[in-house]
Amino acid sequence: MSVLITISLLAILVLYLGLFKAKKALLPVSILGLLGALSLSFYEWGSYAQPIYNGMMLFDNFAAAFSGITILSTLLIFLLSKDYFERISSNIAEYYTVILFSLAGIIVMVSYHNLTMLFIGIEIMSVSLYILAGIKKRDFASNEAALKYFLMGAFSTGFLLFGIALLYGASGSFDLLEIRNYILSAPQEVSPLFYGGILLLIVGLCFKVGAAPFHFWAPDVYEGSPSLITAYMSTVVKTAGFAAFLRLFLFCFSPLSEFWSPVLVTLAALSLLIGNITAVYQQHFKRMLAYSSISHVGYMLFAVISLNGSSDTSIFVYAAAYSIASIMAFAALILLQRQVGTDSFDSFNGLARKNPFLALTLTVAMLSLAGIPLTAGFIGKFMMFTSALSTYHTYLVLFAVLNAAIGIFYYFRVIVAMYFKEADRHELIVSPYYRLVLGLSAAATILLGVYPELISRLI
Amino acid sequence: MNLFYFVAFLSIFFSLLVIFSKNPVYSVLFLIVTFFTFSVHYILLNAQFLAIVNFIVYMGAIMVLFLFVLMLLNLNKDTEPMKSSLLKIAGVVSGLCLLLTLVGAVKSLNVSEPLILKDPGIGLVKNLGKVLFNEFLLPFEVSSILLFSAMVGSVLLAKKDPKKI
Repeated sequence: MSVLITISLLAILVLYLGLFKAKKALLPVSILGLLGALSLSFYEWGSYAQPIYNGMMLFDNFAAAFSGITILSTLLIFLLSKDYFERISSNIAEYYTVILFSLAGIIVMVSYHNLTMLFIGIEIMSVSLYILAGIKKRDFASNEAALKYFLMGAFSTGFLLFGIALLYGASGSFDLLEIRNYILSAPQEVSPLFYGGILLLIVGLCFKVGAAPFHFWAPDVYEGSPSLITAYMSTVVKTAGFAAFLRLFLFCFSPLSEFWSPVLVTLAALSLLIGNITAVYQQHFKRMLAYSSISHVGYMLFAVISLNGSSDTSIFVYAAAYSIASIMAFAALILLQRQVGTDSFDSFNGLARKNPFLALTLTVAMLSLAGIPLTAGFIGKFMMFTSALSTYHTYLVLFAVLNAAIGIFYYFRVIVAMYFKEADRHELIVSPYYRLVLGLSAAATILLGVYPELISRLI
Repeated sequence: MNLFYFVAFLSIFFSLLVIFSKNPVYSVLFLIVTFFTFSVHYILLNAQFLAIVNFIVYMGAIMVLFLFVLMLLNLNKDTEPMKSSLLKIAGVVSGLCLLLTLVGAVKSLNVSEPLILKDPGIGLVKNLGKVLFNEFLLPFEVSSILLFSAMVGSVLLAKKDPKKI
C-alpha cells in the first residue's frame, strides 16, 4: 500500500513542481521518489501478507517482485527521458505526472485481490497511456496512435468488464479467494456462465498485452507513439499485463486449466508465428521491435499455459530480461532517430567503428532478445520452455524453438549491419545518462545470464 | 415477468435500430431510447439509484454530448466509407462466434426459483453508500487517481501550445 501512496503523491508533487517552474528539479525528484518506492516495495519482503481493505489488495512477494521490476524499468526509462520531452513541448511536468499515474495503476494491477481493483488498475494504466501516445500533438502518426489505442483499448475494456460481470454472476463475488472457493467447492458444477466469463477475460487481457490475434493495434500504436513512450508500453505495461494475467489464473482458474489451456496454447502459437514472420519483413527497427514484442508475448504465455509453482518465477525472469534488453534497444533507437533521422536497418551500417560502446551494448540487447546463451534472455526462454515441457506441451515447445531460430535472423540483421557493413557516418553523441542506462542494462543482462540464481529464487 | 420480456424486446429492437439506421443522428436518438429501456430494467431489478444515474448521466449528459459532436463534425450525411468485404466477413464470423459462446453458456443454465429479496431497499442510495464507503472504500478512493489522470491528460492534450515547434 505504501508503494501506491508514494507513487501517487510523487505524481502530484511533480505536477506542483511544474506549476512552480522548477524544471531542473523534475527528473531528480521523480528518480528519488521512484527509488523510495522501490525500497518500500521490498520493505515487507517475505512477511506473511494478508489481504487488506476488505480483501481488496494483497502485497505478497509476487506483488513486491513485479512492483520492483516495473518501478526499476520506469526508472531506467526516466533516465532516458533527459532532454527528451523538452523537444516535444514545454509541459514536461505533466508528462512525468501521467507516466507516474500509469505506474500507480500498474502497482494496483500487480497486487489486486479483487476484480474491481483489477479493472480500476487496468483503466488507470490505459487512460494514462492513451494520453501519452498522443503527446506529440502536431505529429499525425502520434495522433493516429492515440486515437487507435483509445478505441481499441475501450473496446477491449468492454470485453474485460463483461467477463468480470459473468464471473460475478456465476460465483457471486469479486474477491479472488471467494471465486477460487466457488470453483473448488464443486469443480464439476461450475456454472456455464463462468466459462464464458473466463473466455471474455482472456480476450480482454490478451488485448492489453497484445497477443495475436488481438494484436492489430500494436504495430501502429508502437510506431506512432514517441519512442520513449513506446519503450514504456512495450516493457513496463507488458510486464504488468502478464503479472495481472498470471495472478488471476494462478490464484483462481488453475483448477479449470483443462478448459482454457487449449485456448491459450492456440493464442501463444499464433502470437509466435505472426510476430516472428512479420518481423522478418520489416525494414525499420522500431516496427521490427513492435512485431518482435508480439512474439515475446507468445513466449510469456507459456508460463500461463503450464501453471505450476515456478510460473511466477519464470514470467518474472523473462519479463526482467525482456524489459532490460528492450530498454537498451529503444535507447539506441532514440539516439538514431534524433541524430540520423531514420531508423531503417541501413542506418545502423558502420556504427561499430564510430560508436563501439553503443554498438556493443546494442549487440548485448539483441543477443538477449534472441535468446543466445550467457545473456538473460536465454535464461528466460530456457525457463519458459522447461515449464512448458513439464506439462508435456512438446509440440508447442518444438514450434517455439523454430520460431526462436527465425527470431535470431532478424535480431542479427542489426548486429551484422553494425559490424560488417561499412558506411561513412558521423559519431553519435551519447549523453552520460544514456551511457549509464546502457552500461547498467548490459551489465545486468550478462550478470543474469551467467548467474540467474540472483533473481530466479526471488518469488 | 411479462413486463420484463416486453422491455427486453424493446431494448433489443431499439439497439438493432441503432446499428441499422443510416443517419447518425437517428442512431443517437435510438440509443437514447435504448438507454431509457435500460433504466426500466434497473427499476425492475430494484436498483433505483442506478436507474436515476443512468437516466441523468447517460440519457441526459452523454447523449447530448454525442449529438453535439455529431453536429460539430457534420456527420449527419451517410458518409461512412464502404468496408472491404473481407473485413465484413471477418466481422460477421467473429461476432457470430461470440454470440454462439454466449448463447451456449446461457442455454445450459437452469431457471432458478424466483428470488425473494431479503432487503427490499437494497438498491437505495443509503444502502449503496454503505457498501461503497465500507467494503469498496479502496476502489472508490483509487478511482480518484483515474479521474485525476484523465483530467490532467485532457488539459494537456487540449491546451494550445504557445510556441510553434
